[in-house]
Amino acid sequence: MSGGVDMGEGKDYNHNRATDCATAVARVRDQLTDRDKEQFMDKFILNVIHRPEMVPEYSATVTGQGKEEDIGDKVLIGESLDIFKTQQRLAHENGLKVTIQMTYASLFNDEAVEIAKHDHDEFGDEIALSLLGLPCEQFREKYKTKDFCIWMFSMEDKKKIVRDVFGKFRERFGFYPESTGSYYMDADLINFIKAEYPMVKCAVATCWEEGPKAYHTCNNSWYTLFDGGPWAPWIPSKQNTHAPAANREEDSGIVAIPHLSRDLIACYDGNGSNFGTHPQNVLRGMIYDTKTWEFPYLYNLIDQYRDLEKYNNGYAYNMMFVGPGWMNKAGRWEQPYELLYKSYSDGCKYYGDLKKQGKLIDMTMSEFADHYREKKGVNGGNYNEPECALWRDILYGSDKQLFWYCDPYMRACVNMDQGGAIVDLRPYAAKLEWPVGIGTKHVQDASYPFLIQEKYRAGYFTHYAGAGTVRSAKLKYKGEEVDLCLTPTHAHFSEEEINGKKNRIITLDPVTIEFRDLTLKLQTKEYFEEGSSNIRIERNILEMSDPSAEVIIDEYMTACYGTTEYPEDMTGITLKAVGDSTESIDYEYRCRDAKVENVKEVSATIPAIETFVSMTTDAAAAGYIEEGYAFSPMFKLGITKKISDKEVFSTWLNLAKAN
Amino acid sequence: MAQLGKGKLNYRCPSCFMRDLDIDMFYNKDTGIYSCIRCQYRGTEKEVLEFNELVRIRYGAMHKRFDKFDFD
Repeated sequence: MSGGVDMGEGKDYNHNRATDCATAVARVRDQLTDRDKEQFMDKFILNVIHRPEMVPEYSATVTGQGKEEDIGDKVLIGESLDIFKTQQRLAHENGLKVTIQMTYASLFNDEAVEIAKHDHDEFGDEIALSLLGLPCEQFREKYKTKDFCIWMFSMEDKKKIVRDVFGKFRERFGFYPESTGSYYMDADLINFIKAEYPMVKCAVATCWEEGPKAYHTCNNSWYTLFDGGPWAPWIPSKQNTHAPAANREEDSGIVAIPHLSRDLIACYDGNGSNFGTHPQNVLRGMIYDTKTWEFPYLYNLIDQYRDLEKYNNGYAYNMMFVGPGWMNKAGRWEQPYELLYKSYSDGCKYYGDLKKQGKLIDMTMSEFADHYREKKGVNGGNYNEPECALWRDILYGSDKQLFWYCDPYMRACVNMDQGGAIVDLRPYAAKLEWPVGIGTKHVQDASYPFLIQEKYRAGYFTHYAGAGTVRSAKLKYKGEEVDLCLTPTHAHFSEEEINGKKNRIITLDPVTIEFRDLTLKLQTKEYFEEGSSNIRIERNILEMSDPSAEVIIDEYMTACYGTTEYPEDMTGITLKAVGDSTESIDYEYRCRDAKVENVKEVSATIPAIETFVSMTTDAAAAGYIEEGYAFSPMFKLGITKKISDKEVFSTWLNLAKAN
Repeated sequence: MAQLGKGKLNYRCPSCFMRDLDIDMFYNKDTGIYSCIRCQYRGTEKEVLEFNELVRIRYGAMHKRFDKFDFD
């Protein structure tokens, strides 16, 4: 039996791991045509994952409504296995290989184990192990709890459960799995698994933006709060799963993949569970024609992900992972079984057709982990290649566009509909250690904290008073003021080497600002220098109706910190402005401000999230800092300067770990 | 009044759905009315299905197939 690595008792794993990686890569390449081999590194990669879940999620609350709970219900187990078999058949009929993530419950089921062995031999499916699907009679009996989310257990229980589940897997298959996963895998859990089972190289480790919005959609009963992570595969750092590793020392040893590939506008704005590469999630969002049962949105979503190869050196990725609860014979919400079945069948066919056309390569998770490390340059020692996504609205009919950027130092979202304002910012540079689960300060909240989040802390627009979080600029002329947030535009992506360093650049279409006595045209460019932990924003005054006019530009960042919609305690934050003089404010909600000429740096130190954020410029300018107040628990950093026609003005936003 | 249960399909409250809430409705087999236990919505199956069509209004591009994803 192959498909995993028999590590004996887990010894001598360094040698085996290297051999194993090479074998997996060779296995993928052997299956490719010559033409595909030439283009191996420039393809759309797909991971399809199935899990035989003997007691599917929702079975108690949805399909079992009105019945007394029976976790050992033989009928339910039989139905669940039938759904798994159907999913396997649909994938294989379309020529797609699958990663079968065995659940703990399924390891007690001989038929599920035999199907996995058969499909591994017949179709090349990988037999992996999920930490989802824990609930079953055996688990309840042993652990005396109804908890089922691995990241929320105490560390002691996490260890016990992992050893139990991995041990059971080895007992059934004769080897340990190379891939695992859950909805979320906290850093301590990943580190433990990697230490105990070093052959594990890939894991499903987060659901993108599944935080307060998902919680809200489920009537505040879905306790999975993990906003702030990457939307595409990454290598988690040992310190924090969401924050990618910056170097070999931080490398957790696994490649993480997100649970589903999600719409980078719709999920940011609304419920994540409606807008992903999960056909039944699209139905959940009611994004289908009730007469024809067609759902072009799913294909638009897949195609937009394919299009992201333009921004990522020819690499694009999708993950589809539908749990059996979503193909229930009793139907799901408004959708009868026939529609649920059709959606999964059509989804598999769409991917399968792309594969037939040579536009897609299906991989198992462990194969993908090897591919990813090679493609991203990690094997060559570079952990800094970012993930970029210039994403447009494909659902609501607007022409809104966002740019998402993720590297080991930050995740940032730039909103072109607000003139290139940064509307979401996660300071990964802090590599914040944030244990989660019972016995920690964060039992449920695994989100990576933000400095800026326009949905949870307003943005440009606020009600009545105060300010929301955003990084933007204002132009002022003769008593009038215009914020660039009110200048919708679009952006174009490019890569350029500047001073020997790679930069990803978005160049926004010029916008026109109209004052009473002056019209000017301004263009914004934003530079993300690889491995630098800063963002340079450049404003270029292309023309002015009065070439002799001088306008004041106020580059500012209004920020705070948090993970949810509710405010945090701002005391402890220190604001500092350094220039001709040095000014400092310890945050006390007293609405104070300070200004310096010839600014070198304005900054905020936020001990609660071990983050230092600053703004700098290479021009002669003034800097200011502003403390907020109780009704507006924010701080503001800003740099102001007079600018004139044809002038270019740059400022940098810098992130670092606060000591 | 009769005890509430589930109908033939598990309809969600369309009014709550419009505010991004997935709430199952419960069915009164005597009156044929689905009702939300969180908000004040109630309606027959026909009314629920009609409301669900209204919900889709926000998806202005739901029927559109895109072949270009940038503005270059």
